[in-house]
Amino acid sequence: MNRPFADDTLLLLDGGMGTQLQTKGLMPGEVPELWNLTRPDDVCAIHEAYFAAGANVVYANTFGANKAKYHGDASLSEVISSAIGIAKAAKGRADASLPRFVALDVGPTGRLLKPTGDFEFDAAYDAFAEQVSLGAKAGADLVAIETMGDTMELKAAILAAKENCDLPILATVTLGEDGKLLTGADVDCVAALLEGLRVDALGFNCGLGPDRLLPYVRRLAERTSLPIAVKPNAGMPKIVGGKTMFSVGPEEFAVDVARLVDAGASIIGGCCGTTPEHIAVISKLEKRCAPVREKCATCTITSGSRAVEIPLDDTIIIGERINPTGKKKLKAALAEGDTAYVLREAVAQVEAGAHVLDVNVGVPGMDEPAVLDSTVQALQGVVDLPLQIDTSDPKALERAMRHYNSKPLVNSVNGKEESLNSVLPLVAKYGGAIVALTLDENGIPPTAEGRLAIARRILSRGAEYGLTKDDFVVDVLSLAVSADADSANVILDSMRMVREELGCRTCLGVSNISFGLPARPLLNASFYTLAMGVGLSAGIVNPLSEEMMTAFRSYRALTGKDKSCGNWVAWAVEKETQSQSAAASRSVESADLASAIRHGLKEDAAHMAKTAVASGESPLGIIDKFIVPTLEEVGRGFEEKRIFLPQLLMSAEAAGAAFDAVRSAMPVEDGGAKKGPIILATVKGDIHDIGKNICRALLENYGFKVIDLGRDVAPEVVVAAAKRENVRLVGLSALMTTTVGAMEETIRLVHAKLPGCRVVVGGAVLTSDYAAKIGADYYTKDAMELVRLCGALPL
Amino acid sequence: MTVDRAEIARYMRMGRVLPDGALEERVTDILGRAQKVIRPTKVWRRLDMAELGRHFDISGSIARHLDGCHAAYLACGTIGAAFDAFQRCESVTSGVNALIAQAVGAAMIERLMDITGDEIRNELSNGECLISRYSPGYGDFPLAAQRTLLEILDAPRTVGVSLTDMLLMVPSKSVSAIIGVRKDEQTVC
Repeated sequence: MNRPFADDTLLLLDGGMGTQLQTKGLMPGEVPELWNLTRPDDVCAIHEAYFAAGANVVYANTFGANKAKYHGDASLSEVISSAIGIAKAAKGRADASLPRFVALDVGPTGRLLKPTGDFEFDAAYDAFAEQVSLGAKAGADLVAIETMGDTMELKAAILAAKENCDLPILATVTLGEDGKLLTGADVDCVAALLEGLRVDALGFNCGLGPDRLLPYVRRLAERTSLPIAVKPNAGMPKIVGGKTMFSVGPEEFAVDVARLVDAGASIIGGCCGTTPEHIAVISKLEKRCAPVREKCATCTITSGSRAVEIPLDDTIIIGERINPTGKKKLKAALAEGDTAYVLREAVAQVEAGAHVLDVNVGVPGMDEPAVLDSTVQALQGVVDLPLQIDTSDPKALERAMRHYNSKPLVNSVNGKEESLNSVLPLVAKYGGAIVALTLDENGIPPTAEGRLAIARRILSRGAEYGLTKDDFVVDVLSLAVSADADSANVILDSMRMVREELGCRTCLGVSNISFGLPARPLLNASFYTLAMGVGLSAGIVNPLSEEMMTAFRSYRALTGKDKSCGNWVAWAVEKETQSQSAAASRSVESADLASAIRHGLKEDAAHMAKTAVASGESPLGIIDKFIVPTLEEVGRGFEEKRIFLPQLLMSAEAAGAAFDAVRSAMPVEDGGAKKGPIILATVKGDIHDIGKNICRALLENYGFKVIDLGRDVAPEVVVAAAKRENVRLVGLSALMTTTVGAMEETIRLVHAKLPGCRVVVGGAVLTSDYAAKIGADYYTKDAMELVRLCGALPL
Repeated sequence: MTVDRAEIARYMRMGRVLPDGALEERVTDILGRAQKVIRPTKVWRRLDMAELGRHFDISGSIARHLDGCHAAYLACGTIGAAFDAFQRCESVTSGVNALIAQAVGAAMIERLMDITGDEIRNELSNGECLISRYSPGYGDFPLAAQRTLLEILDAPRTVGVSLTDMLLMVPSKSVSAIIGVRKDEQTVC
């Protein structure tokens, strides 16, 4: 056996390294990898003991040898080459009757990647790439990526290994007591991601003892056909006298590990607290073959923390709203870099019940690869639904797939050679389920048979890249029934045939069907029901459309997919309760619009403003008589400390809702346009943006247009946006003294490049003196002061 | 985790005024949803003063704070990364929600650190007691000491807490601290 994982016999890994080093005197805070140079004999003795105990694989002492984490005096190159050298020396002395391997041990960087932290994916990738290159050069037999708690970092490490060496990759993650990674991914997420990235073996290490890992190994065995590795701790750590102790002895450990093998694990070892004695005992386990498992026939896509099945016998919703086609506001928001607008569209769809969100940022003239990448990254920091990356630009697709924190749905490949050749390799490399459009160089076939033939061809080309029918979701393309009377029939026939003859899942952009006709929502909903009836797996629809959601819910209730009609009943009851409670609260506190605003009753305020407009009151009159004076009164109350910020924000939100209701009835020239725009951003290096978000909310509710560039924004990005939008005021926030430097730099750059643009700053550590010192034009102590300032400035 | 509403009100900067009406409903809603996403974890380690001195420069305000202590605990707790995403999601839809989520998170991490203190007290020897928490960034105890503190606790691995380049802790609702141990039974612990 020249490579590990070559057959199904049990492969034995070593036990704990860190805890062994500690027993030999490694102190807390000391760099373990330096021992490769200072105490090589001690490191070697540990490897030798594990080989002698029967381990096939030892992990070299390189766990933290990446440039993001390592801070020893010696170079990484020295540390890694000596580590591999020591392990190879131990291997050379080991009994050669067993296959023996040396793994380059790749642990986490110790940094939290974006979106949770501030560390760039590409920086993590670089750190791992260097480590892998050095390890491969030094002669490692495999790469063991372990103790990963973040899917994003795991992906960076795997891509670094795949792109910088051709060694086999074993990737293991660490589960918490709830069976999830630190960043929230569960076993299903991990399995989908790792299968997609095509590692050679996968599993768990550290975190839990072998008994606690059992249910998760069982689950993993259902979700992957790859060999499963487990390296459990010797039980859960206990702190005794300030020291961490592990209590499970070798015999007990072996009993539990045997159960893990029965559950499907074929690569076994130990982590913290395990010793050569633990490994010696598990080496005596019967050398049985691990059961052969079929690749599971599910089509799973994932976010950083959630796995979603695209079903064969049920239907889910892909929210279509993040697509600028025909949406002026979204187009403008994408062009302006107004991330907050896009995020709001996303959150609204999540709340409405979408299962997956489509992300398409195709606006002519825009740098699509950059915008798609940044939009995907912003979305995955806020919503936990998997994304459908929707672009026809392979460059944009690759960049977004690379930085996506899990396994996406890719939209799309089609039957054209160019598309097949550019998209399928990306899916094979990064993992993903993929939408297959039934069109090719000759266009969209007019018949169901023609569309089926293209789907068949795409699937067979996919097979060349190791993709199966379960990796594809076929979109037979919806064409307007107004242009072709037979269109709907052909679509439904095609979907039926794809399902029956190819056994493949389907998706469809439903609303195209009604293009060119009046009363589109009703027609769309009826067609949606028909499509679900022939087995539509995923409808690409607007989840904010009541008609579509009613069609979805009723279809599932009527076809037994909604068990005991539970979802239908819950939805109906909630709807009823909402309308009752709205009516009830209206009668108590919302005597009038002013009162609704004062009490912060958003829905009531919007409802009353709408009613007032409908009853013939002039929109401007409503604003001048009710909304503005009440908002003024509330603002004064805050300034005079009679009410608190949360109450001010509640009222402002209610006023904002009333504004919106009235404004939609007003022509722009009559004051429907907002004042501004004002750019807001949290400065580079600062990832805390609550204060900035509160300012944005209040400004918007007071009728200002805000372009929110988000958090951790580089000075040049602020300047570019301010220049593009011809903005007169930029608001910057910083929370910590450590990030005020970045604020100062941004102010300097704005002043240098845009003489007409002023900068206002705010944040916990700032004062008006401090603000003046760093060159800010204005300082406001809270959101209300900022509103006042914006009101006084000619924007 | 049980969280005192008065504490949430305090972090909402409402003094002792508990929210009522529509605001109270929001607090209840956000608190309930936050409970479902948090993942409280904590870690601590006891060092004697000599060990502490090897890792940290114990001078200035931290030295005064630890005056009379014979040992100290390094402790770190967090309510987890998912809460940050939750908070970001809330702040996308509403400024009030952003503010409430922030206050709820602050009350939760404080509660977690109180619980941590209680658990540490359980392992003290007779006659020992804890003094109040002291964190990097307090007084003239440099923020950069955070790096050492988290390293000794192996915090990225044990509790998933790490530092950004600007020395901010992530997840954001995390606390790290040094807690002195004294033998003075007169001290209110």
